[in-house]
Amino acid sequence: MQFDFIHKETWLHKINPSFKLIVILVLFIMVLFIHNINIMMNYMVVILFMFLLFSGQPAKRVILILIPVLFMFITTAIPMIFFGKGDTTWFGWGLIHITEESFFRGIHVGLRALIFTGLGIIFALTTRPVFLFYSLMQQLKIPSKYAYSFLAGLRLIPIMIEEFQTIRYAMKVRGVQHKRGMKGFYEVLRKYSIPMLSQSIRRAHRVAVAMEAKRFSQVKNRTYYYKITFSWNDIMFVLYFLILLSAAYFISVQYPYFAITDVRYK
Amino acid sequence: MSHIANVENLRLKFAGSSSLLFKDVSSSFFEGEKVLILGPSGCGKSTLLQVLSGLIPHAIEVPIKADHITTPESWGYVFQDPDTQFCMPYVDEEIAFVLENLQTPRSEMQDKIQQYLDLVHLELDDIHTLIHTLSGGMKQRLAIASVMALQPDVLFLDEPTAMLDPESTKQIWDTIKEVARDKTVVVVEHKIDHVLDFIERIILFNEEGEIIADGSKDYIMTTYKQQLMDQGIWYPGVWKDYIKKEQKTTPIVPNKDHELISVSEFTGYRGKFPKIEIEDTTVFPGEWIAIIGENGAGKSTLLHSLMQLIKTTGDYKVDGRSVDKVKKLTNDLAFVFQNPEFQFVTNSVYDEIAYSLQIDKLDQQTIDEKVTTFLNEFRLKEQKEQHPYQLSMGQKRRLSVAAAIIKEQKIVLLDEPTFGQDAKNTFKILELIEHWRKQGTSVFMVTHSMEIVKYFSTRVWLIEEGKLTFDGKAEQLFKEI
Repeated sequence: MQFDFIHKETWLHKINPSFKLIVILVLFIMVLFIHNINIMMNYMVVILFMFLLFSGQPAKRVILILIPVLFMFITTAIPMIFFGKGDTTWFGWGLIHITEESFFRGIHVGLRALIFTGLGIIFALTTRPVFLFYSLMQQLKIPSKYAYSFLAGLRLIPIMIEEFQTIRYAMKVRGVQHKRGMKGFYEVLRKYSIPMLSQSIRRAHRVAVAMEAKRFSQVKNRTYYYKITFSWNDIMFVLYFLILLSAAYFISVQYPYFAITDVRYK
Repeated sequence: MSHIANVENLRLKFAGSSSLLFKDVSSSFFEGEKVLILGPSGCGKSTLLQVLSGLIPHAIEVPIKADHITTPESWGYVFQDPDTQFCMPYVDEEIAFVLENLQTPRSEMQDKIQQYLDLVHLELDDIHTLIHTLSGGMKQRLAIASVMALQPDVLFLDEPTAMLDPESTKQIWDTIKEVARDKTVVVVEHKIDHVLDFIERIILFNEEGEIIADGSKDYIMTTYKQQLMDQGIWYPGVWKDYIKKEQKTTPIVPNKDHELISVSEFTGYRGKFPKIEIEDTTVFPGEWIAIIGENGAGKSTLLHSLMQLIKTTGDYKVDGRSVDKVKKLTNDLAFVFQNPEFQFVTNSVYDEIAYSLQIDKLDQQTIDEKVTTFLNEFRLKEQKEQHPYQLSMGQKRRLSVAAAIIKEQKIVLLDEPTFGQDAKNTFKILELIEHWRKQGTSVFMVTHSMEIVKYFSTRVWLIEEGKLTFDGKAEQLFKEI
C-alpha cells in the first residue's frame, strides 16, 4: 500500500513546502474577497491551468480527480441557485425559486469551492508529507514533537486500511448481517470502530514508546536528514500567480463575460 | 565487576489491577553479560525490561517504588511487534531519525545509514524503500539496525522474534549474535532454541511475578525443567517431551468414501491478479491438511479463496454441491483468523460463542445448552461474562476457535492459529482441533511449524509462488527435502 501520490516530479514539487503552504493560504483568503463573477471565473482558469499542466499526474488520474471536484461544484452551487434570494425570476416551482441573481451567486459560490479544492489538491499532490514537516520544523520552527507525531501517525494509515479489510472478511465469515436504517448504521459503525480504535490506541502507544527508546526528545540543535531550502521555483510560483492573476483581473475588467460586478444581494 | 543495571526491592502496580505486579523484586546485571529472562505470559518480564531501561517511568507512566534503580547510560531496545517500532515511512528515514536524535551532522548520515544496514545484512536495492513493503523479518532487522545506530552498551530484546516464522527467527538471532557479541544483552523470549547458545545466565519468574531462580544456563535448564514445561516455554525438546507424555501416535483418517471438498482448475484472485492456482484435488472427512510455504507464497490467499472471501474461478464443490449453489457457506465452513481480536463482534464471551446460533434464530434453550458445552470444552466457563478483549492471549485464541466452530461445521479453516502462543496454549489448541478431526471434521491449517506437520497433520500442501507443488503425507515431504 503506497501512501505517496507522486507520479512525476514537476517544478511544483521542488517548491519549499512551508512557502507553498503560505502562498496557498494567502490565495485562499484572497478568494473570499472577490465578489465579481468575471474575476472569479478567470481566477478559476488560472488554478485549473496549473492543475492540468503541472500536477505531474497521468492524464487518466487527472480526469478521475476532476469527477469529485465537479460534484463539489454542483452541490455547492445548486442550493444557492434554487433557494437564494433574488428579484428577476427565471423559474419557480414550490420551494424552488431560481432568479437571475441567485443563479449567478450560486455559480460564484460554486467557483469559490472549486478554487479551494483545486488549490488544496495541487498542494496535496505536489507535496511529500515528510518534506512538509521537515520544512515546517526548519523554516517555521514548529516543535519537532508535533512534526514527528504527525509523521508517525501517517505511517499507521496503510496498516489501518489492511486492518479494515481483515475486519470486513471476519464479519463476512461470522455471518454478520447488518440491519437497515439508522440502527443498522450505528451497529456497523460500532463493530468496525471498536476493534480498530483499540488496536490504534495500543499501536500509537507502542510507537510512542519506541520513539522514546530511540532517544527522541526535543534537543535544541537537532540535525536534519533532509535540508529543505528555497530555490528559483519559489519565485516562479509567486510570479505565476502574480502575472496570471493580474491578467485575470485585467481581462475581466476590460472584457467582462457578464455585466454583473458584485454577486452579493443588496 | 560493576553492575550496569540493577533494581532493588522493586514494587510496581498497573492502574486498574488489584494486586502488585512486582513485590520486592531485586536483580543486578553486569557488564558484558548475556541474560535471558523466562516466565509465563503476564508475569511481567517485559515490564522489568522497561524498568531496567528507564522507559518506565520516563516514557510510560506507571507508579513504581524501589530502594535503588540503576539504568544503563546507553542502551537500545528492540520490541516485539515489527509494525509499531517505526515512525517514518522509508527505511533510510527511519535510521536517519535516530541519527538526528543523536545530532549527527547531515553530511555523515548517508554513509552511516548504509553502514548500519550492512551490519544487519539488510540488503536493499535502494535504501529509500517503503518500510511497509518489507517482510516481518526484514522489519526486525531494520529495528536492530536503528538500535545499533544508538551505539548502545546494553541491548534489551523484548521477544524480537515472537511474530516471525521459524526461518526468519533463526536469521534474526544469527544477526543479533553477530552484532551484540561484545555488548551486555538482556533478552525476554519464549522460543529459546536459538537463544540458548548465546546466553549465559537465566532468571526464571513464576506467575506471581517473583524470581524463583537465577543462575547459570545449564543449572536452570536441568534443575527447573518441570517449571519450564508448566510455564509453556518453548525450550528445545518440548515437542519430544509432549509426544512422549501424551503417547501420541500418528493420526489416521477415518474413512475416505465421501468427498467433502473437491476443486479443479481453481484460481483465486487478489484484484485482477491470480494469486493461487490449484489444478485438481479432493479432501475427505477427518483429514488434517497442513498448508506450508514461505511468506507471501499464497497460503492465506488459498484459505480466503476456499472461504469465498475473494473472487475465484474454476470448479469448487463443497459436500457435492457447486459452491455457487450453496446459500450460506458459513454453515459448512468455519474460519479462524490469525488475530483473534478482529473476529470478535459482541461484548461478552458467552454472546460471542452464541452469536452464530442467534443469527440462525435457534430457540434459547438449544443455544444455552450448546454454548455451555462449548464453554466447558474450551475452558472458558469462568470468563463467560467478560469482554473478549479482557481475556489473556491463550483464552482469546480458544474463544475465537470456539466461536467459529459452534455450528459444528464439517470443514474448519485456520490461519496460523498457534501464532505467538506459548507451548502450553499451542498444545491445548491442537488437542481441541484433533478432537474435532477425529469426529470427521476436515481441518485446513496454515502453519510454519514443522512439528505440527509431523505430529498432527495427515496430509501436507506445500504452496510455492501461488501454486500447489506438493500434496501428500508428511513423511514423503521430509524424504524429498
